[in-house]
Amino acid sequence: MRDEKLAAHLFRHQYGRMVSILTRIFGLAQLEMVEDAVQDTFAKALLSWRNKVPENPEAWLVAAAKNRAIDLLRKAKSDQFRIGKVPSGPATVLLNELFLENEVEDSQLRMVFTACHPALKPTEQIAFALKTISGFGIREIASALLLKEETVKKRLSRARKTIVQRSISFAIPNASELPARLDRVLEVLYLTFNEGFHSNNKAILIRRELCGEAIRLCRLLLTKESLRTGKVYALFAIMCFHAARLDSRVDGDGEIVDIKHQDRSKWYLPLINLGHSAMMKATTNGQYSAYHYEAAIAAEHLRAETFEATDWTQILHWYDQLLTLQDSAFTRLNKSVVLMQLGDFAQAKKILDDLVVGELAQRKYLYHSAYAEYYFLTGHPQAALKSINRCLELVNSEPEKRYFERKKTGYKSDR
Amino acid sequence: MKDFMMIFVGADYGTLGLSPDELQSRYGKWFAWTTKMQKNGVMKSGEALQPQVKRVVGPERTVTDGPFMESKELIGGFYIVQAKNAEDVVEIAQDYPDYDLGGTVEIREVMVFDR
Repeated sequence: MRDEKLAAHLFRHQYGRMVSILTRIFGLAQLEMVEDAVQDTFAKALLSWRNKVPENPEAWLVAAAKNRAIDLLRKAKSDQFRIGKVPSGPATVLLNELFLENEVEDSQLRMVFTACHPALKPTEQIAFALKTISGFGIREIASALLLKEETVKKRLSRARKTIVQRSISFAIPNASELPARLDRVLEVLYLTFNEGFHSNNKAILIRRELCGEAIRLCRLLLTKESLRTGKVYALFAIMCFHAARLDSRVDGDGEIVDIKHQDRSKWYLPLINLGHSAMMKATTNGQYSAYHYEAAIAAEHLRAETFEATDWTQILHWYDQLLTLQDSAFTRLNKSVVLMQLGDFAQAKKILDDLVVGELAQRKYLYHSAYAEYYFLTGHPQAALKSINRCLELVNSEPEKRYFERKKTGYKSDR
Repeated sequence: MKDFMMIFVGADYGTLGLSPDELQSRYGKWFAWTTKMQKNGVMKSGEALQPQVKRVVGPERTVTDGPFMESKELIGGFYIVQAKNAEDVVEIAQDYPDYDLGGTVEIREVMVFDR
């Protein structure tokens, strides 16, 4: 394939930008029309580029979108469809301004806040954000989120309907609403990133793109002064730290490699550095959120030159801090694993025994794998096998299943 | 050498709901194919067609607006290529990118009128 002349995902990224700009002109009520128009612009670009690629494809697309907007405005004026607020006066001047870089960012941020509006359900928020901001197609969203295409379509249409019914405004929230609304945005980005990072399935590539998108959008937040809060920086740091390890998490055969066995030389230094500088900014005002502690934990792992050199005491400290802010079964489970590394088996077991397993939902298998590890390390191989079998019954993804099968083999032979 | 027209039928991007990424990968394939033809000197010209159709028919020259057919029957464009015979054009058409979207290539020799 010879399309290296085009930047990777040029269409996809331009899609999000143009949908945002046009929505700013025509309003959220016209979102469907806007998306169709952008889609159509791209299909046309494709046809006219068959024989000759323009010198600057990006500028070509922008010009095409602009022309499209002017066409649509004319059509709107001739009253073919009703729009609440069509800009009056010299529309083209306004149009040109909207295509300036900082205005584009502003429009995209408005779309981010729309996607993460509390009136939408979390599941709808992610699908909607991937579609309208990130330019994913229905098929791509379905495979990235392990959903049926029908389900994605339903979520998208519910989201659009809610936006129209509630007349959600296409705006960055005002100062009084901002903190709560921004929290919601961060949650959605965090979930999107985790979808990409923690699940393992065949469509690994598309899942990595979820991580990439989450990082890109988090970065977009940081372009705006009023959004540069400690939490945003801390979340950005978490993503950088985790993403730095993406390549080392699977081996050449697509098998999972745990942090103990990862090739640490493969960890991607520029991202680690980016994460560290984000952390510096995140901690300037001395207010720490759960994101800060998660980033601190990730950073601590990255700091160790070998697995054996990991400072588990420091990690335990961060987990305890995290638990004071956000007490969840998953965090407790992780803490018990840290305690095992420190040799505090009694405390580790107590946490596991007291865990409200239901909270772990689909990740319940991790609870059994933690027990297996506990039994194995304390010299009860039979109990370890029993627990790992329980884990294997519950685990869904094939690579993870194989990972735990290998653990099981280890428990059998390593007595 | 003779001229042939390759007519592309179906695979109308406008109605297939392709995602931006999918569109971009299509573009890459078309570009590669076209470049190959240009390099081999077989490509003479070609155009893509808008999907809107107007039809003029009958002694009354009645004008009607499409669509008249399903999008899978719609002609999306054509290329004119030079080749020895139709078999060679069939060979060229192997790289047409949109078979997987239900697209078809029709090959017709351009008639030459002797003076």
